[in-house]
Amino acid sequence: MTEVKAELVGSVWKVKTAPGAQVAEEDELLILESMKMEIPVTAPCAGTVKEVRVKEGEVVKEGQVLVVLE
Amino acid sequence: MGDEYSDRVGELHARRKKNLAMGGEEKIAKQHERGKLTVRERIDLLFDKDTFVELGLLAKDRDGSDNAPADGVVTGHGEVDGRQAWVIAYDFTVMAGSMGAVGEQFKAARVRELALRYRKPIVWLLDSAGARIQEAAGSTFAGTGWLFADQVVMSGVIPQVAAMLGPCAAGTAYIPGLADFVPMVKGTSSMALGGARLVKAATGEDVTDHDMGGSQVHCYESGVGDNEVETDADCIATVRRFLSYLPSSNTEAPPFVDTGDAADRPVEGLDKIVPVNPRSAYDVRKVVKAVFDRDSWFEIKRTWAKNIVVGFARAGGHAVGIVANQPLQKGGVLDSDAADKAARFIRMCDAFNVPLVYLMDVPGFMVGSQVEKEGIIRHGAKMLYATSEATVPKVTVIMRKAYGAGYYVMNGKGYQPDVIVAWPFAEISVMGPEGAVNIIFNKQVEASDNPEATRAQLVETIRAQINPYLAAGWAMIDDVIDPAETRRVIIKGIAQARDKRIDRPWRKHGNIPV
Repeated sequence: MTEVKAELVGSVWKVKTAPGAQVAEEDELLILESMKMEIPVTAPCAGTVKEVRVKEGEVVKEGQVLVVLE
Repeated sequence: MGDEYSDRVGELHARRKKNLAMGGEEKIAKQHERGKLTVRERIDLLFDKDTFVELGLLAKDRDGSDNAPADGVVTGHGEVDGRQAWVIAYDFTVMAGSMGAVGEQFKAARVRELALRYRKPIVWLLDSAGARIQEAAGSTFAGTGWLFADQVVMSGVIPQVAAMLGPCAAGTAYIPGLADFVPMVKGTSSMALGGARLVKAATGEDVTDHDMGGSQVHCYESGVGDNEVETDADCIATVRRFLSYLPSSNTEAPPFVDTGDAADRPVEGLDKIVPVNPRSAYDVRKVVKAVFDRDSWFEIKRTWAKNIVVGFARAGGHAVGIVANQPLQKGGVLDSDAADKAARFIRMCDAFNVPLVYLMDVPGFMVGSQVEKEGIIRHGAKMLYATSEATVPKVTVIMRKAYGAGYYVMNGKGYQPDVIVAWPFAEISVMGPEGAVNIIFNKQVEASDNPEATRAQLVETIRAQINPYLAAGWAMIDDVIDPAETRRVIIKGIAQARDKRIDRPWRKHGNIPV
C-alpha cells in the first residue's frame, strides 16, 4: 500500500482518478492548486487506486494523504 | 660491494611491493565482493594515465608494525584532463581504512598543505571506518581536528571534492560537510556523525550505517550528498566531470572547451516545451538542454529540493552555473531547502569565477504557517545574500513568472544583473492579481452589490498591468526577447561582462544568515 501525500499546502483543483482505476508510474492522479500554479500529483509507482481521500475544492495540508494506491 | 648495493635497492623494492599490495589478496577480494574497487583502482580511474605520483608509500602505522601498509591511506597528485589535482584516498583493505596518526598527521596533512601551496584541487576518496580508535581513544584527542580548519582555509580558494565510496563515520563526516561537491555511491557509501555502533551506545537507537546515512538519506532528504551514482567508476567519472567546469583555484578562469556548438544558433523547440499558460507545469531542464551547448549539462543535487534546478553547463564553450526554477516540482515555488541549495551553489560559482545564468519562472516564496516555523525568512535570506554578493557575470532571463521576493533572489534588477531580459509571456509583479485584489480592494469588493463580478473586474484591471512591456517601457529590464534568441543573449551577456569589476567597502566578512 502506498500513500500519496501533498507536497505543499494548496487546494484540490481536479481529481483525475477514482477508486479501482489502474495507474502506471508517473500517471497524473490529481492536480493541486497553490501559489498560482497547477501542481500535478503523480503516482509514485504502478498500482490500483484504493482510495481517493479528498474532493475538488478541498484545502489540503503538507503531508496530508490524498490517494492510497495498492 | 655490488651485492650490498643490490641488496639495499632490493629491500626498497620489496617494501614498495608490500605496500602496493594494500591489505593483501583476501581483503582485496572482500572489497571486490562488496562491489567496491580498491583504492589503487580508484586512483587509476581518477587520474590521466601514468600521471599519478605517490607520496608516503612507505608509511607504516605509528608503531612501525607491518599491519598497516601506507598506514591505510594513499596520497599524492596526478592530472585530471591535463591539470594537477591532489588526492587523499582511504584504503578499506587496511584496518578498514581507519585514520591513523601517521596517515592523518603526516600524509593527509601534507597533501592539504601542498594542494593549497600550489593552488590545486583536492579530492578525498572516502572509504573509512573513521578514527583508529585504538590510537585515538583518550585525551590525546586534544591535539586532533585541525584538518577541518585547513578545509575552511581552502574553502573558496581551491575546489574540494569528497567522493563517498564507502563508510565515513563520526567526525570525519565533516570532510564532505565542508566540501564543494559530494557524490555518493548508492548502496555502499554512508556518512553519519555517529556510526551505528556509537549510536547504539549513546542513545539506544538500533539502526544500520546504510539506513542512517546512505545516499537514499543524504541525496534525497538531508541535502548533504550531491549526486547519487551507481558504481565506484561512475563516482570517479562524476568527480572528473565536476572538476572540468572549475578552475584549479580562485585566481584562475574556468577552462574553456570548444564544444563546436555555434554561439549564435537560434534555440529551437521552446514553443513545444514551455506552455504560455503560466499556471501549467513543464520540465525546465528541457529548456536548459535546448539553450546551452549540446551535452554540456551537469546537474548538481538533482534529487533534493527539486523545485529548483542548479548545475553547470557550457555557453559557447565557457562554463556557466545555472539557477533555474522548476515548475514541474511544487510549481517551482521557493522553499527553505530550495533557497539553501541555490545559495550554496551560487556562492561556489562566485568563489570560482563561474558566471551565473538565472532562468526565472517563479511564483514566489512559499507562504503560510508551516514554512514560517521552518524559518523560511532565514533560509530565503541566504539566497538573497548569495545573489547580492556574487560579482561574477550574471545574466537573468525572465521566462514566465517573476513574483515577489522570488524575483529578487533570482537576480532581479536590484541585484546588479549584467543583462536582464524577459520573454513576451513574462509576468513581473509583487504578487498575482487575485492576491493583490484581496489586499488592495477588499473593502470595495465587500461593499459591492455583486462582489464576485467586482472582484473579477478588478482582477482583470490589475492583470493588464502585469506585462513585460511595462518593465521594458521603463527600461527596468534591458529587453524583451524572442525565446529563440535566448542562447545568443546569454553568451553575449557573459562576454560583455568579462572585465567586470565591482568594488565594495572593506570588511572582514559579511554576516550571511546561515
